[in-house]
Amino acid sequence: MAHHVTSKDLPLHGEKVKSSDLALPKLISLIVFAIGAVISIILFSLDSTSDGYSYSWLFAFMFFISITLGGCFWVTLHNVTNSGWGVSVRRLMENLGFVFPFMAVIAIPLMVPSVQNDLYEWMQHHRDVNHEYVDENGEVHYSDRENAKAAAKEAAGVEYHKDYLQIQTLDEAGVAKADHGAYSSPYKGAFKSDHKSLLYYKAWYMNLPFWLARVIGFFVLLGLGIWIQRKLSTDQDTDPKPTCERLIKTRQLSCLIMPIFAVVATFIALDFMMALDYKWFSTMYGVYFFAGCAINSMAVLILTLTWLRSKGYLKIVTSKEHYHIMGKLLHAFVIFWAYVSFSQFMLIWYANITEETTYFILRNTDEWWYGSISLTFLHFALPFALLLPHYVKKTVIFIVPICVYMLIMHAVDLYIAVIPERGVSLTHGKELFVSHPAYLGDIVAFITVGAFFVYVFLRNIGNTNTYPNRDPRLLESANLHN
Amino acid sequence: MSTSVKRVYGYLAEFESASALYKGAEKVRDAGFKKWDCYSSYPIHGMDDAMGMRRSILPYFVFFGGSTGLLTGFSLAYITQVVIYPTVVQAKPANIFTTSAFFPIMFELTILFSGFTVLFCLLGLMGLPRLNHPLFASRQFHRTTDDGFFIAVEARDPNFSPEDTKALLEEAGGTNIELVEEED
Repeated sequence: MAHHVTSKDLPLHGEKVKSSDLALPKLISLIVFAIGAVISIILFSLDSTSDGYSYSWLFAFMFFISITLGGCFWVTLHNVTNSGWGVSVRRLMENLGFVFPFMAVIAIPLMVPSVQNDLYEWMQHHRDVNHEYVDENGEVHYSDRENAKAAAKEAAGVEYHKDYLQIQTLDEAGVAKADHGAYSSPYKGAFKSDHKSLLYYKAWYMNLPFWLARVIGFFVLLGLGIWIQRKLSTDQDTDPKPTCERLIKTRQLSCLIMPIFAVVATFIALDFMMALDYKWFSTMYGVYFFAGCAINSMAVLILTLTWLRSKGYLKIVTSKEHYHIMGKLLHAFVIFWAYVSFSQFMLIWYANITEETTYFILRNTDEWWYGSISLTFLHFALPFALLLPHYVKKTVIFIVPICVYMLIMHAVDLYIAVIPERGVSLTHGKELFVSHPAYLGDIVAFITVGAFFVYVFLRNIGNTNTYPNRDPRLLESANLHN
Repeated sequence: MSTSVKRVYGYLAEFESASALYKGAEKVRDAGFKKWDCYSSYPIHGMDDAMGMRRSILPYFVFFGGSTGLLTGFSLAYITQVVIYPTVVQAKPANIFTTSAFFPIMFELTILFSGFTVLFCLLGLMGLPRLNHPLFASRQFHRTTDDGFFIAVEARDPNFSPEDTKALLEEAGGTNIELVEEED
């Protein structure tokens, strides 16, 4: 063990990242985001690219929100378990987690009805039944039953007019039944007789108002959760009489926030990703997404720690031991990810039920098969073996490339979770891929959302001290030994 | 009158607290001793550093034990269910790409073999089980399971000398220094 750190080694008012160190990366990320946002608006508005780009945006959104969700997870876990080891890196976690509420900005395009109709078949069906349609300008119109057919003809330029007409005729059958005295829900008429009974039975959960309410709820609830934890922690930094009061309060609150996190992470995965195919069932999906959140965010935390240390910050309060623990957590979640994703695959594979197997059949067809099979070896087996020795986790030159590698592999994982749906949905199951080179849009969306994420993260880092300098257990963490 | 040859095992020194033991251990380590050990009724944090111990080689054994388990699991399942007698369930193919079905057994055997390797290699490296230990001849040594903290320096160590080692242990804070002899 090197020199024992005492409070005499630490600056009295903590340590803050100089704005000169942050100015350039912040400026670059902001410019990249601004350019990317302009290109995104163009891609969203062009007819030929808008449908494919919706999927690109969703993929980028899911990847970066998984990092921020992971940040929320590590903060809450740290507080809920009353951990001492990570006090000196806790501020990094808090700053990472606090990017989460800002991700609501990235979610805005996903609230646009035309984008939703491209992504989520079920929303499109619901809009059809509600006599709501989107014209070529992306505006939403409502028509009553009498004018429904005329409206449909008017909307002939709309991509999904076929489905629209079909549902209308079936809907009228439902209305005729209602004339005999009993009320019949429009969903029942439309969905039940159209082999869409799953949509009918899921309508209590999958309906447009509830979906919107949930999405708002995610950002408000967990946003508050991470905000309050970060606030209690940063207030401690400047308190002339720091006591254990905030520590205990945070611990108590985090017990409440942990279940909120679990629900929010699970249902973000369900409502944004799993809902791409409303017919699919899987009880593992939320946990599967969560495992990825933890991997992603731990990789980002290790990279950020390394970057700040290379600039001369956090040098006294962190050591190889922190790298070791963070590397161990990364390793643990690489294993956990494999465990969960394999469980999901194997249960579906051997039960062999039509509604469940669609997901994996699609992802094991032609080109996607190579991606899926490579996840087994490159997302699990290789990093598992690489992270086994202790010195790999402790040494910066080993752990940094592995973290970058894990981020790339996890982007591949989420890509395979989101993008295969694009071809089959947009071509109504005829083709595996859309005709235009939509992958270029994936890159644009990834860079745009990534630049936004980096900007907000750097802004959070610049606004606070680099470590909670008046936390009572800071020295315990600085002298960590494991 | 029976004569029994006695062989010197080494010096046993008592320390009054865990921190005294820790500091004493650092001194013995710095004197360059290899064949010696600390005894305490509970684990002392950082003791491995104070004793200058190298990392155990056990993980390498476990890696190969686990790999053997993985290959055993794969071979058992693959040879029996694909090569010798292809097992077709629900019209699913039986070939190398259905290895996923064997993952659970591969996983289980990896864990089992790793577990066995840990247990048996650990016992082997510690030299256990053994029927007796020379230190049991000491009348004070039983206190190590209660409130005693001891350092024992073995005579096998090339640095050992009857006078200097005793002086070293005294200087390190040891009391009740005792020459322990084992019966041959």
